[in-house]
Formats: sequence, C-alpha cells, structure tokens
Amino acid sequence: MVTTMDSKRSPRRGSLLLLLVSNLLCKNVASLPLCPSGAVNCQVSLRDLFDRAVILSHYIHNLSSEMFNEFDKRYAQGRGFITKAINSCHTSSLSTPEDKEQAQQIHHEDLLNLVLRVLRSWNDPLYHLVSEVRGMHEAPEAILSKAIEIEEQNKRLLEGMEKIVGQVHPGIKENEVYSVWSGLPSLQMADEDSRLFAFYNLLHCLRRDSHKIDNYLKLLKCRMIYDSNC
Amino acid sequence: MKDNVASTVVLMLLLFLNIRLLNGESPPGKPTIFKCRSPEKETFTCWWRPGTDGGLPTNYTLTYHKEGETITHECPDYKTSGPNSCYFSKKHTSIWTIYIMTVNATNKMGSNISDPRYVDVTYIVEPDPPENLTLEVKQPEDRKPYLWIKWFPPTLVDVRSGWLTLQYEIRLKPEKAAEWETHFAGQQTQFKILSLYPGQKYLVQVRCKPDHGFWSNWSQESSIQIPSDFTMKDTTVWIFVAILSAVICLIMVWAVALKGYSMVTCIFPPVPGPKIKGFDTHLLEKGKSEELLSALGCQDFPPTSDCEDLLVEFLEVDDNEDQQLMPAHSKEHPGQGVKPTHLDPDNDSGRGSCDSPSLLSEKCEEPRANPPTFHTPKVIEQPENPKTNITCTCDPHSINAEGKIHYYHAVGSKSSTWPLPQAVQHNPKSPYHSIDDMYKLAVSPAGALTILLDKAGKDASRSSKTIETGGEKKAVKQREMESFPSKTEKGTTWLLPQEKAHVIAAKPLDYVEIHKVNKDGALSLLPKQKENSDQTEKARAPETSKEYAKVSRVMENNILVLVPDPCAQSGALFEESAKEALSSLQKNQAEKDMTCFTATPSNCRHQQGGLDYLDPACFTHSFH
Repeated sequence: MVTTMDSKRSPRRGSLLLLLVSNLLCKNVASLPLCPSGAVNCQVSLRDLFDRAVILSHYIHNLSSEMFNEFDKRYAQGRGFITKAINSCHTSSLSTPEDKEQAQQIHHEDLLNLVLRVLRSWNDPLYHLVSEVRGMHEAPEAILSKAIEIEEQNKRLLEGMEKIVGQVHPGIKENEVYSVWSGLPSLQMADEDSRLFAFYNLLHCLRRDSHKIDNYLKLLKCRMIYDSNC
Repeated sequence: MKDNVASTVVLMLLLFLNIRLLNGESPPGKPTIFKCRSPEKETFTCWWRPGTDGGLPTNYTLTYHKEGETITHECPDYKTSGPNSCYFSKKHTSIWTIYIMTVNATNKMGSNISDPRYVDVTYIVEPDPPENLTLEVKQPEDRKPYLWIKWFPPTLVDVRSGWLTLQYEIRLKPEKAAEWETHFAGQQTQFKILSLYPGQKYLVQVRCKPDHGFWSNWSQESSIQIPSDFTMKDTTVWIFVAILSAVICLIMVWAVALKGYSMVTCIFPPVPGPKIKGFDTHLLEKGKSEELLSALGCQDFPPTSDCEDLLVEFLEVDDNEDQQLMPAHSKEHPGQGVKPTHLDPDNDSGRGSCDSPSLLSEKCEEPRANPPTFHTPKVIEQPENPKTNITCTCDPHSINAEGKIHYYHAVGSKSSTWPLPQAVQHNPKSPYHSIDDMYKLAVSPAGALTILLDKAGKDASRSSKTIETGGEKKAVKQREMESFPSKTEKGTTWLLPQEKAHVIAAKPLDYVEIHKVNKDGALSLLPKQKENSDQTEKARAPETSKEYAKVSRVMENNILVLVPDPCAQSGALFEESAKEALSSLQKNQAEKDMTCFTATPSNCRHQQGGLDYLDPACFTHSFH
C-alpha cells in the first residue's frame, strides 16, 4: 500500500486515502495470472498447465510413433536400419532417467528442467526435418503433415513448460542447455541409402524422446498435482 | 604318403559323422525369439521357439547386450516365465534402451544361434487384464434401474504415480446373445449400463490398454442376473395405455356428437320412401287412388327424333272424374303395362322431357270428381334444373299406360318442349296455351288445394310469394308454382294442384292428341274431338284438329316455348286464353311476379307462324 500522506495532515484523510488505494491494489493483485508459489489459486492454474502439457506431449508422441511406423513400412524394409540406429540419438548425452525408480528419485525441478532441455534440443531437428521431408522425392504427404504438426506442437509444449517452470521455480533461469543436433548433413546426403538411414534415425530418436517427455510429464503431474495418487 | 594319411583321416571323420547322422542326431535347429512383452513397463519377458533339437538334449542360452554398452549379459531368469523364456526383472530392465538379444541352442552335435532381436521395452507394454470386476444392479427410486460395473487396474501396473496411464473397455451381453456390446470407459474404473433387458443374465468383461501400448486380454467373465420385476415400468406403461384409451374415447364421443346424425344415417340409412313418379303419398292417404294413379302418368315425352316413333299419346281431358283415362299404348312401353309410373321429381335432372310427368291429364276436366289426372308440365318444376340435358330419354315410364301426356323436363336444352298445361285448361283454347290456365285450374277449390298445398308447403321452402286473400287461390297457386320449381319433388305436387284446381274449377279439359314429336322437340299435338260439351266455351273445338303445340325452343330456364303449329290459325284462341289468364290473374294481388306473369302473355307473344304464344321465360320468372 502506498500512502502519500503527509504526517502533518489529518489522520482521517490519510486513512481514507489508504483504504482507497489498498482497494485498488488488492484488485490488481487478485487478477495477476502468475502467483508466487504457495498461493492457493496457483494450484489451479498449475493443474491446468500440466493438464494441457500432458495432452500436448501425449499427442506429439502419438504423431511421432505413427510417423516412424509409416516411414519404416515404406522406406526401411529389409535395410536393417535398426542395427545401425544404436546409440545414435543426439540427446543421449543428456542424462535422463532410464527407469521408474530413477525417474521418481529425481527432484521435480530437475526433471522439469530436463524436459525443457530435451524439448529445446528438438527445435532445430524438427525444423530441418520438415524442410527435408518436403524435399524428398515422392514427398509422402502423411509423413510431411505429421512432421509439420509435431514441430508446431513442440513449440507450444515448450512455451507451456516454460510457464510451468516459471510457476514452480520462479526467478531461477538456468542457462539454456540443450543438445546440439548435427545430423543435417546426413539428411542431405546424396546417397539414398544413407539419407534414408538418416531420416530413419531421426524419426527413431524423435519417437523415443517424445515418449520420454510424455512419461516424465505424467509422472510430474501425478506427483505435483495429485500427490502421487492419480 | 602324407596325402594318403590326410585323406584317410578325413574319410574316417566323415564316416564317423555319417554314422552319427545315420543315428538321427544332428545339431539343433535355429531357435527364434518370437515374442517379448512387458506387463507394467518395469519388467519384461522374452520367449523363443526352439528349432529341431537334433535328437539330442539341447541347451538354450539367451544372451543380450544393451544399447550403448558393450558387455554381453546372459538371461538372468529362465524360470519365472516358463520354459523357453527369459524374464528380465526390474533390475535388469532399462526403458528407452534397445536390447539386442540372441538365443543359442547347443547340443552335442553342435549349436545354432538365432537371429538377433532388437527390443525396446517402451514399445512392448501389454498389461494384464483388470481385476476384481464387480457387478451390481442398482434400482434407485424414481429412476430406471441400471447395472453398475466396477473394477480395479491390474495389480502390477503402477497407475498412481503416473508411470502408466490406463484406458479401459468393457463389454457385456445377455447370456444367450451372440454379439457383445462394447463400451469405452476412458480412464475411469466404473461404468453404468442403463439399457438392460429385465429377467436376463448378463455376462461382463473388461480389458485395459496403456497410453502407448497394447490391449490386454479380456478379464474373466462376470455374470449377473437382472431382476425381472420392473414395476415402475409396468405402472408407467399402464398409465400410458389408460390415458391413450381415454383420449381415443373422447375423440370418438366428440366425433359422434358432431356427426351423430350423419353417422346414424350412415349406419342405419333411412328407409327410402316410395319413389314412384307422380306418386303422391298424400293422395294415397286420402284415398284418392285415381288421382294417385293418374299422377303416375307417363312422364317422358321424348323430344328427340329417336323418340319420335315412340310416343303417341293423347291428352284426354275428362270431365268425368271417375273416368280413368286410358293411355294410348305406346310402343315404347312394352313392359310397363298399366303400372303407373311415379312422377319422380327427384330424377328430373338428367332425364329429358321424357321424364316429365304427363302434362295435361285427361282428368283435368273434372272439377267435381276426382281431380283429373293431368300432369302439369314438368317444365314448371324444372326451371331450377336448367342444367339437365334433355336428350330425350325416352323413359318408357313416361308413357303412362293411362295415356298421359308426357311432360318434358324443361331442362335447358332446346329439346325440351314446353308442355303447356293446356290440357287442364277449362277454356276452349288449346290446352297448350298457357300455363296461366293451369294456374287457374290449380287455383280452384281451396280445399282441394290445401291438400296439395300441404305437400307443396311442406316441400316448398319459399312461400315468399304472398298469399293474399283476393288472390288466395292464385297466391296459393303461385306459391305452389314457386315451390314446385324449387323442389324437384314437385312433379306430383304439381300435378295434383292442377288436378284439384281443375276439378274445382270444373273446367273442362281438352283432349289433345300428341301427334308426333319432331326432332327438334316440337310437340305436335292434335286436339281431340270430345263429346264433352263443356268445352263449348272453348271455341277452339274446331281448332282442335289442328296442331297446337310445337316446341320452338327452350328457354334458359328450362321453359319450353311452344308454338302453335303454323297450320293452326287459332291465334285468337291463344289470345283468348291469354286474356283469360290475364283477367284471372289480375285478381291476384300477389307479387309482381304475378303481374309479371300477367303481363307476360302480352309481352311474351311472338309472332311466329302467325300465332301467338307465350314466352315461357316470364313464367319461369314467376315461379322463382
């Protein structure tokens, strides 16, 4: 509350003014979208944020899975790409939990940051995936449309996650850490087999990472919103 | 030498092997890892299918290595999941990691290794079916009963932490039904079924699916018996039936009330009265059988040429009321005999002049006795039926055995003739002179008229023409005249008053013989020489030998315009009759109709063939 009262003035006028100003300020405070952690109404908005984030992550993984299956059926049959796509994802350097116990042991903030990192790591590859799939001969419409959709939704999920992080852990802005993707030259190789493998690998990694993100977010939601009682 | 030894050794080995092979022993066949599955995304199992064992005990080992590692591991557990399986516990399971595993089959003869299988636990999740499926029939008050299905997720799956998110599906069917009814239940662990067949036993199953995995198997069947007493439903049905019946009854009562009469008549049609043409029940009641019979005179006088040969009738005006007029036998009337035909006023339309009752009954001359049976021109009644076509329907009935002159229905066509009711004329003029004469006859005794009037009055709805004292008779007649045209039933009535009038007036009738009918509907009548001296005053006796009537045309109101035959020169007769009519009518203080009527004789005269005739148009007008 701001009081501009001069102490020399009558106390009555000062208290009136105080009341007036406090009314206005209180209103403003109540309408703030973001609230400090611990406030009651923040829980509701966090729940909404998480619900929306989970919906997005689930949707993105479904699209990725379909896209991979279509590519595999159409281009990768009999080529044995899976044998080569071992340990070839650019995000494997990010130390992500590998099972449920490890995931439950990680602090929720760390897990949130990890999700953010993975999401950021895929901005660039998704962008190039769309442009390269477009350039493929017989550009498969189904794969292209899914790629475009995934890129779009990934951006939205990133925004949502940043909001969540802003609510859960406001004020701390970590350095934007993410894995750099350097697979673009592979996508543009002249050798069809190599190029196809590059696409295969990229789609394989996308499917896995989108599943990771979806799983982590569901874990976090149940843990943070429903107190591990989904 | 060495070569020999070497080759011998090889030969020996081969023999040895061959011997072993001949015994049926061989290295094992190649095994195949055909399925890997994780029930909760925390452990998983892989099963292989062994190849041929080569007749020897074969040992199978599964070895694997994980993505990003170089160490090869062997299957930690061959037992838990059964034979030819490898169970990976939590400790040995890593998610989002590819396992590369192979199975090695080994026996004494050799070994064989399977193709490597690449397994990522993330994508092989297939949970167990849900557990503890419970069914319950709930019957809340005021609501329909429903089946409440509840279940629990499979024990192994960790849903609470969100590690797996399950979606459920249930299916149910009556025990004897062939098809299952499937419902998707989402993430909830209960479901309500509302559409149930009472008295049936239902079977229910449930299964689940992880968010990115495969459907489980269906759970064990649970059954429940739906109670058959749906009293609420019965009550509702009965109430509905009762309301519907009440509504239907109300509608029927209302319909009956509205149309009761017509319905009653539909169900119990009124017994039709006798419809003999010219038949007057009143006369029957009075016992005037003669009049009655005379009324049933021949009606039809075919105006068309085809009827020309049919009718040779003569009008007999008889002053002796007892005298029955015998009709000239008409050849058109073979089977009719003497049966009086009923002047059917109802059937005027459509029947030409053939149906008109005999115009001038012979009886018209009998004022004292029974009214002569003369038939007033049907045409008078007919003005209101202009539409009927006068194709001469030579109705044999119309040719009355009693020799009545057939009336023409004055129905709009020109074939109708104007049957002048001259027969009833008391005056010596041609009986076809004027309808005026008929009026006079009709007027005669009021007493006789009353009977007729009764009938006329009954039928006539418009006695608008006043009945004034002075011209009471005339008025009465007028009324009758009006009424008659207005009603189709008036044939007889028209007759009777004429008869009565005639009787009362004691005017002798002229006999007229219908000589022939021309094809244009001209009625050529020949007056008949009568011994009645009463007709002396009718100076037309000498003229009776002439043709008196010939229909020149038909007016629009079904009035026949009769013209005296050009040969006849009794123009004076017409005049006389007209004058008489005039004078008599002038006494009538009735409406202007009468005046019109009276005036008509003068107005309506045409010059045709040198003779005057009355324009029936005026008469028509007076009748309405």
